[in-house]
Amino acid sequence: MKMTVSRIIPFISLLALPGAALAADISIDSTTMVRFSQLDVSGGDKQDITPATQFLGLDAKGLGNGNLSLHLHGWGRVDLGETSYGDSKSAGDLSYGYLRYRYDKAEADIRAGRFFVREGIVNEQVDGISARTGLPFGFAISAFGGATIHTEDLYGESSDGKGDYLAGGRLNYRYKGVLELGVSGVYEDEAPTLVNHVNGSNRKVGGDIWLSPHRVIELVGHTSYNTETSEIAEHRYRLNLRPSTDLTISGEFSEQRDQSLLYGWAMFSAPLINPDDKSRISGVTVAYGAAKPVTLSLDYKHYDRETGSADRYGGDLKLSFLDNSLRSGMGYHYLDADSAFAIAGTASASYHTLRAYAMHDTKSYFAAVDAIGQFFDEKIHNEDSAYEASLSLGFHLTPVLALSGDISYGKNPNYQDETKGLVRLTYNSTLDTTGGKK
Amino acid sequence: MRFFHITATAAVLAGLIFLVSCSGMKASPDRFSSHAEYLSAGQQAVCSECHQNEQKGTLKDMASINHSPVFVKSHGLYASTDDRLCASCHKSSFCNDCHASRSEIKPSTLYGYRPDRDMPHRGDFMTLHKIEGKLDPASCYTCHGRSNNERCMACHR
Repeated sequence: MKMTVSRIIPFISLLALPGAALAADISIDSTTMVRFSQLDVSGGDKQDITPATQFLGLDAKGLGNGNLSLHLHGWGRVDLGETSYGDSKSAGDLSYGYLRYRYDKAEADIRAGRFFVREGIVNEQVDGISARTGLPFGFAISAFGGATIHTEDLYGESSDGKGDYLAGGRLNYRYKGVLELGVSGVYEDEAPTLVNHVNGSNRKVGGDIWLSPHRVIELVGHTSYNTETSEIAEHRYRLNLRPSTDLTISGEFSEQRDQSLLYGWAMFSAPLINPDDKSRISGVTVAYGAAKPVTLSLDYKHYDRETGSADRYGGDLKLSFLDNSLRSGMGYHYLDADSAFAIAGTASASYHTLRAYAMHDTKSYFAAVDAIGQFFDEKIHNEDSAYEASLSLGFHLTPVLALSGDISYGKNPNYQDETKGLVRLTYNSTLDTTGGKK
Repeated sequence: MRFFHITATAAVLAGLIFLVSCSGMKASPDRFSSHAEYLSAGQQAVCSECHQNEQKGTLKDMASINHSPVFVKSHGLYASTDDRLCASCHKSSFCNDCHASRSEIKPSTLYGYRPDRDMPHRGDFMTLHKIEGKLDPASCYTCHGRSNNERCMACHR
């Protein structure tokens, strides 16, 4: 009964498909991929894997009286060769599938089906209903409720550790283009009892803020509170200074109490985490030239945990030529970390990352080359580095249809040789002006 | 107990629908009716027309939604306060490329022809996640949530 109720709602949205055919604006995204991988596992046999995957998305607007729309996206995979993962040669998922009705007033809408909720501190996927509307004097309210999207059962369990139903929402206040304050929360059904894992219920409340008293300064962030542990779960804030249109100086601060933030994540038996364990990150980023021919960003981050601390610093440079049809970039970062973060059996967690790429996109063809290397301070499984280089070449068969292929070669501590290739057919018809996947 | 949850949820939603039906009393106009998401075919959107009018001062300045490297790294903070603004240009599937309960392919593989996009987990993240996960577990949770992906469970038992 539970499964029946929870799964009926998204499939109701599929009943609108015939009506979608009559919609004023229809957008279809389709990507068909066949991947070819030969993996040479250290100490094992070579594996040849050939999964064929289809991604499909549909957005139909202008249904009914013009305010109703349908949105679907999902994927399916069949293994043409050896099983690519697990015991089954096929897999698939409906990422979202919902009907949305937009009211003409008060920025109000209602969604029914499978959808993601991103409201304040809430970030959930639901089979259910959501609604939101503006209210007088700058207030707005939203609410959602429905069945939890269950995933794979945990190892040795008959459940994924989540409750069966959840509900939540957000109330916010906005003052002109200066301030937005929100309070939000999520309340999930009692988490099931597990045999080999320790579990907790997913219940949090929190507040969020966006403040920009002047265009040169902006504060954005949120704080969440776990009502099960009665402790703050997370602070996450960022302060941006923009002395000119091209320059942004940004400071960030976040602090998590690991047990309270991850409490409902049964895979890691999060309720067993020491309640005193904290993660704290502070950092600064200086970025110059967004959407310009030259974009440069330099960043520094300091990580602080009970077990140790680490610093990461580096920069990225992006260049654009020929009216943005030719783009390239390079970046370097170094993680200087205490040995407490090292992989078991290794002496150091510190490593360098170096990356460079270039791409050219014309009306007839597109090509890209990309290379990344990670260089470890101390060897990991007898390897002192990991690298991967890839080449992509494609052709625009029509304005909405493209055929492309990628090939890559790499070496890392897991695979002595990792050779991968794929063929990709992409259809992206956007029959309106709403942007689409960019 | 579950009956109570469903009933409570339905009551909240019913209340919201009632509020929507009464929303004619709202003084301010519907912002989103003028957004790109609702423009007719061929109609061009000029964001700065409304969002850089300091004298008017009633809307977010373009600077706060300009996709600088800082914005890209902290986009979640903005999306969680107003995902409809994101929807003006991006479909939901744009988010799902990275944020999904079940991801089939690394985003950087799916979009191998777009190395200019800041996709997570490039290179040998299979090895590096053993370091990064200990360093900043919240960063895993931000995208993967409680997805319990079968590939995670192969080791995380």
